[in-house]
Amino acid sequence: MFKNYLKTAFRNFSKNKVYSFINIAGLSMGLACAMLILLYTKDEVSYDRFLPGVNNIYRIVSKEVNPDGSIAMQSGNTGSFHGPAFASGVPEIVSFVRFQGDYVNIKKGTEVLGQEAHFVDSNFFSMMQFPLLHGDGKTALQQPDAVVLSETVARKFFGSADVVGKTLKLQRNGTFKPYTVTAVAKDCPQNSSIKFQMLTKMELRPDEISDRMNWFNFFLNTFVVLAPGADVKQVEKKMMRFYETDAKEMIKIVAEKYNFKAKSEYMLQPYTDIHLSKDYRADNGMVGASNPMYSYILSGIALFILLIACINFVNLTVARSLKRAKEIGVRKVVGSDRRQLIAQFLGESYIICFVAFVLGLGIAQLLLPFFNDLSNKALSLAYLFDLQLISGYAALFFVTGFLAGFYPALVLSGFNPVQTLYNRFRLAGKNYLQKSLVVLQFSLATLLIIATTVMYRQFHFLVSKDLGYNDKHVLTVPNISKNEIAVFRQELLKNPNVEQVAVRNNGFNGTLARVNGNKEIEFTMDWVDADYLPLYKIPVVQGRNFSRSFTSDTSSAVMVNEAFVKAAGWKEPVGQVVDFWYREKKYTVVGVVKDHHYAALSEVIKPQLLCNDENNFGLAVIRIKEGSAAAVLPYVEQVYKRLLPVQPYSYEFKDISNQRQYEAEAKWKKMLLFGAFLTIFISCIGLFGLSVLSAEKRLKEIGVRKVLGASVTTIVKALSKDFLQLVLVSLCIAIPVAWLLADKWLQNYPYRAALSWWLFAATGAGIVLLALLTVSYQAIRAALAKPVKSLRTE
Amino acid sequence: MIKITNLEKYYRTEEVETVALNKLSFEIKEGEFVAIMGPSGCGKSTLLNIVGLLDDADGGSFMFNGIEVAGFNERKRADLRKHNIGFVFQSFNLIDELTVFENVELPLIYTGVKAADRKTRVEEVLDKMQIMHRRNHYPQQLSGGQQQRVAVARAVVNKPKLILADEPTGNLDSSNGNEVMQLLTDLNEQGTTIIMVTHSEHDAKYSHRIIRMLDGQTVTENILV
Repeated sequence: MFKNYLKTAFRNFSKNKVYSFINIAGLSMGLACAMLILLYTKDEVSYDRFLPGVNNIYRIVSKEVNPDGSIAMQSGNTGSFHGPAFASGVPEIVSFVRFQGDYVNIKKGTEVLGQEAHFVDSNFFSMMQFPLLHGDGKTALQQPDAVVLSETVARKFFGSADVVGKTLKLQRNGTFKPYTVTAVAKDCPQNSSIKFQMLTKMELRPDEISDRMNWFNFFLNTFVVLAPGADVKQVEKKMMRFYETDAKEMIKIVAEKYNFKAKSEYMLQPYTDIHLSKDYRADNGMVGASNPMYSYILSGIALFILLIACINFVNLTVARSLKRAKEIGVRKVVGSDRRQLIAQFLGESYIICFVAFVLGLGIAQLLLPFFNDLSNKALSLAYLFDLQLISGYAALFFVTGFLAGFYPALVLSGFNPVQTLYNRFRLAGKNYLQKSLVVLQFSLATLLIIATTVMYRQFHFLVSKDLGYNDKHVLTVPNISKNEIAVFRQELLKNPNVEQVAVRNNGFNGTLARVNGNKEIEFTMDWVDADYLPLYKIPVVQGRNFSRSFTSDTSSAVMVNEAFVKAAGWKEPVGQVVDFWYREKKYTVVGVVKDHHYAALSEVIKPQLLCNDENNFGLAVIRIKEGSAAAVLPYVEQVYKRLLPVQPYSYEFKDISNQRQYEAEAKWKKMLLFGAFLTIFISCIGLFGLSVLSAEKRLKEIGVRKVLGASVTTIVKALSKDFLQLVLVSLCIAIPVAWLLADKWLQNYPYRAALSWWLFAATGAGIVLLALLTVSYQAIRAALAKPVKSLRTE
Repeated sequence: MIKITNLEKYYRTEEVETVALNKLSFEIKEGEFVAIMGPSGCGKSTLLNIVGLLDDADGGSFMFNGIEVAGFNERKRADLRKHNIGFVFQSFNLIDELTVFENVELPLIYTGVKAADRKTRVEEVLDKMQIMHRRNHYPQQLSGGQQQRVAVARAVVNKPKLILADEPTGNLDSSNGNEVMQLLTDLNEQGTTIIMVTHSEHDAKYSHRIIRMLDGQTVTENILV
């Protein structure tokens, strides 16, 4: 019986190639997407679980709770103090490891290379059992001059992984010292929140451990292992009791001195929760922090695509069932019961699904590099050897086959043999199900297309909005301090392609100060020289720019932006005093700069304070002539290397680094575009299939109409009208939903592209046009056919 | 073999109710060859479908081999049908995707006959129908007469006790028609009961008895043999 079903199925598939292609193409794409997302989700939830004993590892995290109960800050960071302190005061904490991200310079011959590195406690490998290729984890980090390398880094510096005992020159406190390689570790797995390349032992000054003020110093990750069977809630309570006793004096001092009213609370975060945590994210040397929202959105898109492909299957199978009505009748007459027919048709759906599944695996494999790039992962189908994933894929196969095949099987098996065998058979009803499914398909496709357009527009807005300063043709070079800047500038300006050179601090700083006596303002603080504002073409709206003619500028002058003036409530900002009471330092405002987007456009322009203190300079800013990059870059490097032979050289173009702030948006827009393309493609091939079947079904009607004198246009209209109506209904459903969702999403951006009606109108018109093209091809073909042919077949 | 008493069948649409069978009663004995005649729409085919357990009656009794089958559910009907009844239709109703051999084999598959036995039985019946040389052809590659011979082969391959033929020669020229009628006569002579619906007086003459119907009722019965 099975053989007979198979034969019938394959002969049917090959006889109806368009139909088979539509089903297999749609399902395989849908399945490929679902496979990739399954892989992605599995990777997300498997993060860090490969470490032995990981369920007993926790990270110390903290939050600051305001007197009114609101949360002032949540942080995964601790300082060098917290680990030893809690370990000494809470017996359930068996051991602790501190982990801090850093960057070191390494001398290789005469060359100096920058290298990412981490400082850890010597028992790192006892807690985090990352596999080692060479060396012993227990002793590897005992000595202060020991270094552990990842396989890749070992190969980078020595060309081999077996390098235990060899030395590397690392820069510490300004001088290069030899460090001995004591172990080489396998590269960390892709689903690890810790991906170290180089580890050295954490070196601490005695005061970092003794001074209780360090309870308030946060800059690294502290992991602890609890005693077996320890109750986490109880341990947290003990930690709080210990903190409140041990830091009592300090809490009082901080409260008085800084007017700090929030209360710190310490908690333990399971190590395996870190990757997907929104509140206590993986940072300070930990990587790959993710938002579960991404998994939801990706799964949503994959589900959309798969659903649309299944709808094609259901619709086409039911619409095509007229052609198989006779077969069903015959099978019933010669003895088949309904269950056997259901099994037969469900089986056919599974055959199609199986072919699509195998193809889908191939497509997923092909798409993997692209997908990895978009999702910032290094996934591979080798994960397949995992039982969980295999069962996931098997479930995907069975659910898809069932979803696609069950309803058609139920409908087809219920055909009345008497009607089918006497050619009296017509599909009953107005076919609401088919219509609703087409509406659902096109609604989903419209939704995704609008989401994509909105995202594209917002992205374009972000990267093209006027920032209030000119970031074009500007080069930044780090590691230039006050000692080098004068010579560096002088040398660079000798090149006619270099227009201006300024300097600022490296990175961002946030702090607070008092104005008007006691009002506190939080702001971003930047240190810039007198050339900085002119270089970026940032206008000074009141007062004056910093100037080398005023020697006091470097010690007591500040400039503020308009947002600062607004926050301080100043009418006459110039001459006002900003009081850094905790550093016992006061500055006078000499000028006001126009508000500009010094941070990403995901943030509103906050109060900004510019200071002229040259001790914090660290990043040279160079404006070059348009189109001169190729000529200038080698020159800048040459000047830099002459000046700083032992510093690694690097540079960035400001406009490019600005754009990089929107990398996430750029990736999501690509991902959405891909999803939207697939949904509309699969929806359209489905519509095409239905239009073919509809034209076949109405062959006689078309013939009669033509005989009675209908023109080709009238017939095309008659045939296309029904489908276009459905597409229009979809638009009516999808557009308001899309509008609401887009509006909600855009609320995340303080600066956003306007949602204009024409965007929705254009998308709608595009979809209608596409649908029209899809159905009219078949309609025109049917309308052009000779009526005598169609009438004779009756 | 078949005893029908006061059989009723209605067709309902939203507006009208049409009586297809109106308290029809008759009896057919094992080994009989009965022709049912009457004008279009008199209920012949409806009757045949009910007798063939393809359709339900709305009232009355239908005894098949002494068992009341009027209230049977679909599974029971399918079971009874596949072991006892063969069908021959005017429009042949062969499955286009299956070859001659596979079409004839189909009833044996549903009755659970083993593959080796199936082959012997199908070949035997194809041989008898003189269509063995076409065993690997698809229906659309055959002439009408050949297609109907395949349909007859499919109807008899399970050795049913009863064959129901609905205008079996309706789509055939006279020589092919005569051949098919001869096949049916031969089968009847070998013991198979045959009920045939026909418009053709010529074909009806092959039967033992003609039941004439009008408006869902039997009007006359002519015994020919």
